[in-house]
This record gives sequence, structure tokens and C-alpha cells, in this order.
Amino acid sequence: MLKHIEEQIKALGCTIWELREETTKAWEFYFIRHELDQNRITELRSFPVTLYRPLEGGLLGAASGEIAPTDSDEAIRKKLADIYYQASLVKNPAYKLNDKPVASPPLKELDVAAIAKDFITAMAQVHETETEFVNSYEIFVKEITRHFRNSNGVEYTVRYPSSMIEVVVNARRGEHEIELYRMFESGTCDGDKLCRDVEKALRYGKDRLVTEPTPALNRFDVLLSTDDALQIYRWYFAIKANTEMIHCKMSDWKPGKAVAENMTGDRITLKAVSTLQNSSQDYPIDKEGAEIRDRTLIRNGVVESLWGPRQFSQYLGVEDSALAENFVVEGGACSEAELRKGDYLEVVEFSDFQVDPVGGDIAGEIRLGYLHQNGTVRIVTGGSVSGKMADAIPTMRFSAETEQYDTYVIPRVTLLEKLKITGAE
Amino acid sequence: MKAPFSPYLDALAPKMKKLVELLGKSFAYVSVLSTDSVGFSVYVSQTDKGISGQNMTTERGNVVRVWRDGQYSEYAFNEITGSVEALAEEIVCQLERQFALLKLTGTKTYDTPILPDEPLELFEEKETGELPEQADMKGLVERFTALSDRGMETIPHALDCTLSGSSTHISKMFVTKNRFLRQSYVYAEGSCWAIASNDEDETKEAYQGVSGCGGPEILDGLQDVLEKMPKLMQEMLSSEEIEPGEYEIITDPEISGLIAHEAFGHGVEMDMFVKHRALGADYLGKRVGSELCTMHEGALCDNSVTAYVFDDEGVLAGDVTEIDRGILKTGICDALAALRLGVQPTGNGKRENFAHKVYTRMTNTIFDSGESTLEEMIASVKFGYLLEGEQSGMEDPKHWGIQCIICRGYEIKDGALTGKVVAPVVMTGYVPDLLGSISMASVDRGVMGNGGCGKGYKEWVKVAAGGPYLKMKARLG
Repeated sequence: MLKHIEEQIKALGCTIWELREETTKAWEFYFIRHELDQNRITELRSFPVTLYRPLEGGLLGAASGEIAPTDSDEAIRKKLADIYYQASLVKNPAYKLNDKPVASPPLKELDVAAIAKDFITAMAQVHETETEFVNSYEIFVKEITRHFRNSNGVEYTVRYPSSMIEVVVNARRGEHEIELYRMFESGTCDGDKLCRDVEKALRYGKDRLVTEPTPALNRFDVLLSTDDALQIYRWYFAIKANTEMIHCKMSDWKPGKAVAENMTGDRITLKAVSTLQNSSQDYPIDKEGAEIRDRTLIRNGVVESLWGPRQFSQYLGVEDSALAENFVVEGGACSEAELRKGDYLEVVEFSDFQVDPVGGDIAGEIRLGYLHQNGTVRIVTGGSVSGKMADAIPTMRFSAETEQYDTYVIPRVTLLEKLKITGAE
Repeated sequence: MKAPFSPYLDALAPKMKKLVELLGKSFAYVSVLSTDSVGFSVYVSQTDKGISGQNMTTERGNVVRVWRDGQYSEYAFNEITGSVEALAEEIVCQLERQFALLKLTGTKTYDTPILPDEPLELFEEKETGELPEQADMKGLVERFTALSDRGMETIPHALDCTLSGSSTHISKMFVTKNRFLRQSYVYAEGSCWAIASNDEDETKEAYQGVSGCGGPEILDGLQDVLEKMPKLMQEMLSSEEIEPGEYEIITDPEISGLIAHEAFGHGVEMDMFVKHRALGADYLGKRVGSELCTMHEGALCDNSVTAYVFDDEGVLAGDVTEIDRGILKTGICDALAALRLGVQPTGNGKRENFAHKVYTRMTNTIFDSGESTLEEMIASVKFGYLLEGEQSGMEDPKHWGIQCIICRGYEIKDGALTGKVVAPVVMTGYVPDLLGSISMASVDRGVMGNGGCGKGYKEWVKVAAGGPYLKMKARLG
């Protein structure tokens, strides 16, 4: 069908195009406690297409759509004609599609049933008690195959596993019961890690039952030791170095610019990498046909290079860029143990921790925190953390030890000094 | 005009009826939901323009649901390459592979009764202005371009001004042995989003949207939205940080809707009752808000982006009074959760698309109006804030915590707005305390349906929420 669509595109007179065939096979299992709520299978195929149109004044039009496998010949022709017409309406500065040949990696033989079995088996091995237990979980295992072609002759096929498990745990003390939510993404199932992570959540749940209200700490150091820290590394540092964000004026970063002034803490080094073991997006060629290469985006707190879509990268004169999926942040100067000296609030559960990539605002309600103060540890809940990345980066410190969260490797703990803490008392 | 039902689905109907019949030999209950929803999305800014035939609700595909021995299973697909007989055989074969794995792993079933299958035929095409597939895309891009250009002229210190819009013509068909339901309707949503930089080189954002049940003509409302943007941005640029503490607050209809959605929208999704994940189950018949707190939920409550006729399980849309003058009356329920709880479903079984599982999901979640005017409400505040503009929200149904990140707050002192603006504002609290503190509600109300709602951090669906201006007390930071 891909060939047929390509012929129809050429019949329109369209000479610049990108076409993909995406096939997804998924097995899903939904559990209430450890009983099966529902089992599901999805078998999907789609054909996303983007057509381009050179326009007067050195401009380029582009429009996209999706051909369904059930579309008739007539429907395909009409859809493509509509897309091609719409491409004439959208006038952007011209850019070129990828034209460097890429070699498809060997197609992986995957078995969604076997991966699903690993998840089911691992969850059955989680150590629970009468008062700390798994409430429910949902297992999603996908085999994704992407076949890409463009009008410059770039063509490749990749196949990769992409899994996700959502786990809700409960902890109970008398009549009082609380829950914690976790979403773990990965390529396949690492059963030991999954058990460890769920059991860690169970321990947090137990602590959540014996909290006291967070005091009004005003300005206080905050330590992040969970995947909430990803919000900082993914939605601030990595996204600020994205060419689309820069071109669209949501970021003013450029090579040579320091990510903050007067940095006295750890200086971040962030790399985009072509492959990351057991990432849910582990493929070496991006969705636009560019090879994903290892690339240092930020070195010692200074922007070194940029990444992003072909269009915006070309606007900014960035060659060899790609839509990277996997990133690694290098560890800092101190160990986790050293960073844990002194007074700080370690927040391990937020309602929803957010870092605004444009303005850099930091905000989140505290669901569970450990207040380390004057040599004691109090377990706290309520209130909120807020601040600004511009204020936090100069003194930000992070551990030498690192931890992988799906597509990111980041320092195991991150310390942000003097954030604003609204108490719950 | 009527939004015409998909000819593709009409042509598909005999095959799906046959599929139900064939699978009926292996399973005691079989349903098929088939979808064919077409639409577009467009954005225009100073730095980029884009146009697509896809948005968050465009889809075409089918999902089969079957029941056997207390177990529900589903098979979603979007391709039929051979005969219906071959497809039925393939579905049975694939599901049997899963059953074999479940047997191998010793997995027990959460035993659930069989769904009823009362006979019903329904065909409804809702009214719309235009159809997205017939929209004048050239005119739309030109209008958006002109609005973006005007935004750059009028919005102070603007770095960019993005106009975006989308619309979907939804067609869905639900088939069982005894039911044959078809519906079609159109919704649209649009927004204006601007960024600007102040003297301290800080980047600030301002956002406003329009939405409703109807076609691309709804996007005409962006003209009025743009006129409000210069003032909004000026306020954001001059905004200060809020001093943390508890304040008297007045929420605009958008924030009232956000509270409704987060506080007792997610909190009474009854699939959460099945899992004992919601405190609301223990509070039915009990007070959870003040006398001024009455809240409705249902696709029939408002002609919004989610005003469907039947849900994704073939249950007719409803209008449920969740909270009546402060007393929690009931929740909302999908069909399987209803079976498990022994209650009636409320028409709230929704899927992100045909390939996703059904969950209990919100539609329109709305506080009832009161009798005060906004002016009276402001005059009653000694020291507090008028809160406007939703950024995000998060619920905790098990613990009734709530977090709302709000774009801005207008300071009120001694019954009058002072002109001082704070931004952003993080509102946190305990839901019954928050709703229990509602002391005034305005006569007018608004309902907003931009963006999407997730269950946890996935399963994105269209919802709408709103209400009147509400006065209450909350902790802000």
C-alpha cells in the first residue's frame, strides 16, 4: 500500500514528500489488585503523509494527513489532493528534507506475549503486606514497526518494543488509606527493577500515613530524588536547546550561551544519544529520516549544540541535527550522600510537579516530603513548592550517581536551593 | 445543517453486524464500536504555520468487546483484509493466545456479570454550522494570519502570537445483537496564545480559547479573544509573585470549572470506586460542600465539545446531579463499573479512541449558578484575589487533595480590585474545606472545553467544565 500511496502522490505532481507506514501490535492487561479486569489486543496500521509544495518567494508549503488502510482508491486520491492543496496555504521559509542515505538496523524479532508475561510475573513477585499493597495496574506492551520513505530516496525500517506499566499502590493505617501513582515506561520488562520501584512506592505509601503538615519554610532547599526531576532536565534543559523552541522564540538559547549567570553549583552537561538500552524509544533514525548521533547539547553549563526537527534546525543553520529521543545528563561533583548533608526538604511525591519551559516557573503541591532540619527528619504533606529556574540554576547541584528513567539518564538526586515553600499549617 | 453520519460506517454496518453474529458463537456478549471521525488542525504564528488533517479526536477503526466466563476482552483493529469470517476467526485465535498466557501465569479473573443488551435503535445527526471537511481552509489561514499580525501590533512586547484551531466531525456506530446506534456531531475549539518579554528579560505567556458543539464557525470567536490579549499580556508582564497564605478568593468560570473537574469530577468516577481509589464512595449522602455548592455532570448538561448522544459503550448520554446543595448524591459510571457496583451506568464510558480501553470519564462538569453579581462578590472581599485562567490541575481522589495552577490573580482589598496582579498562582487545599467555604455564586456561568483531560497521565479525552464566579477560601502560593 505504501508503494500505491507513493504513486498517487507522484500523480498529483508533488515532488517533495514524506511517507510512513506505522504498524503497532499491542497486548494489554488491566488488573484490579491481582485479578484481571480486562485483556486487550490492538492491531493497527496507518500511513501518515506530509506533502510539500514550493511556493513563490522562496517559500515552502507543507500539510499533513493520514491515509487509513481501509481508504478506497478514490478516498486516497481525494485525501492526498486535499493535503496537496492545503500545502499551498501554509507558507514557511523553504528548507530541505533529509537526503543522506541511512541504513536500516537489523529488524528485531519481538514477542509481545513473552514481554507481557515478564510484566505479569514480575508484578506477582512484588512484596506486599496487609497494610501496603498494590491496588491496581495496567500493562501495555507494544511492538512498533516504522517504514519511512521520502522524495529524496531516504528509506528505512525500524522495529522496537515500547512498554508501559501504570501502578497504583495503597497504604493503610486503621481507617486511613492513601494511594500513590506510578507510570513506568521502558522497552521491555526489567522485572527486578520494576519490583524494586514498586516496593519503594509501597514504602513511601507507608510514610504518607504518618505525615504532619508541611511548615511554612519560606525559602528552603529542595531535593528531588524521583522522576519528578525529569521535569527539570526534560522540560527545561533539553527543550530549551530545541531548535523549534528557539525559532519560535520560546527559548533564547544559542551555542555559546551559558544556561545561567554566576553559576556556583554544578554545571550541567547534557547529551542527546543515539541509543539507550531499554528505552521505549530506542531507534537510531528519527521520524524525518535523519540518523540520530550522539551530540553534546550543553557542556559544563554552556550551550554547545542544538537538536530538533529538520525544518527549524535548518532555519538556525544547524546541520546534522535530529529529533533525538534519548538523553543523558552527566553526574555532578558530589555524591548523593554529600548532597544530603545539611537541611533540606526532600519531596518524593507531588500532585503534579511542573516546570514551564517558556518562563521557567516551577510549581507543585507536596504530597509527601521528608524535612531534614536540625538533625531530625519529619515526614510532611501539603503546601507547595514554587520558584523559577533562572533563580535555581546558578546554585543547583546534583549527584555524581545517575539513574535511568526510560529515555533519560539523570542524576539520582538534584538539589535546588531556596525555593519558595508554602506551608500547610 | 445536520452533521451527516459517515457513509463509510453505513457501508461497514452489515459487516460489523455479521462479525457480532459470528463472534456470538464463541462469546456470550459481543459488541463492536466503529468510528470514522474526520477533521483538521491549523496554527498560524509569526514564526511557523501548520495544517493537518489530524487532531486529537480524528480516527477510523473498530473495537470488539466480548464476554466469556466472567471475563471481558477487547480486540481493536483498523484493517479488514479478508472476509468477515476470517476476521472473526483471527480475533478468536488472538484472544485465545492471551487466555493461554493468563492460564500459564495463574492469573485470576475479576469476575464480572454479562452486560445487558436491551433492544434499541438510534440514529441522530446533531446540528452544526459548517463541516470541518468542507471548511474554507484558505480563508481560515488568512484570518488566522491577520489575527496573528494584529496581535503583534497590539500585544505589548509581543515575541509571537499564535492562533490555532481544530474541528472534528465525529461519527460513531455501536452494534450488538440487539442494539444498533449511530450518531454524528461536530465540535470545534480554538485559541490565541501569545508570548512576550518584559524589561527583566522574563518571558510571559497569555492564553484564551473558544470551543463548542458546532463547526469551524466557532473559530470566528477568536476575533473577540484577540481583543482581550493586550490587556491580559500587560497584566502578565507587570505581575508579581504572590505572598503565600490563605486568602478569600473569587474564581472565574474557567477556574470554577477546573475545581469542579479536579475536586469532584475525577473524585466520583465510579471505576475508581470499584478499585477503592476514591474517598467519594464513603461520602455518598454526606456533606462535601456548602449549601451553594450544586454540581452537574453529563453529556446532556451543555452543548459543548463533548455533547454526544451515546457513549463508547452504547449507553445513552445523561445529566447527573453529583452534588445537591452541598450533599454528595452520586457519581458517574461506565457500564462495566456499573455492573460491578450494582448501579446504573450514566453514559460516561469513554475511550481516547477506538484503540483504547473504556474508563469512566467526565463530559460536562459544571457548578450551578447562584444569585450574586460579580460586583457584589468583589465588594464582599476584605483581602484576597480574583483568580483567572487555567494552567493545569491535579486531583487526589483518595485523599481529596487538590492542586490548581492558575495563570493570574487580581488583588482585592477592602472590596475593590487594586490593580495589582500576581502570577502564576498555585492553589492547594482539601476538597471539602474548599467547597465548604463557597459563600457566594454569581448568576451567570460559562463552560469551557479547550484541550484534553487525562486519566492519571494518559487516556486523553475531550471534556468541558465550568460554572459561575464562586467565592471561597483557599491556600495560595
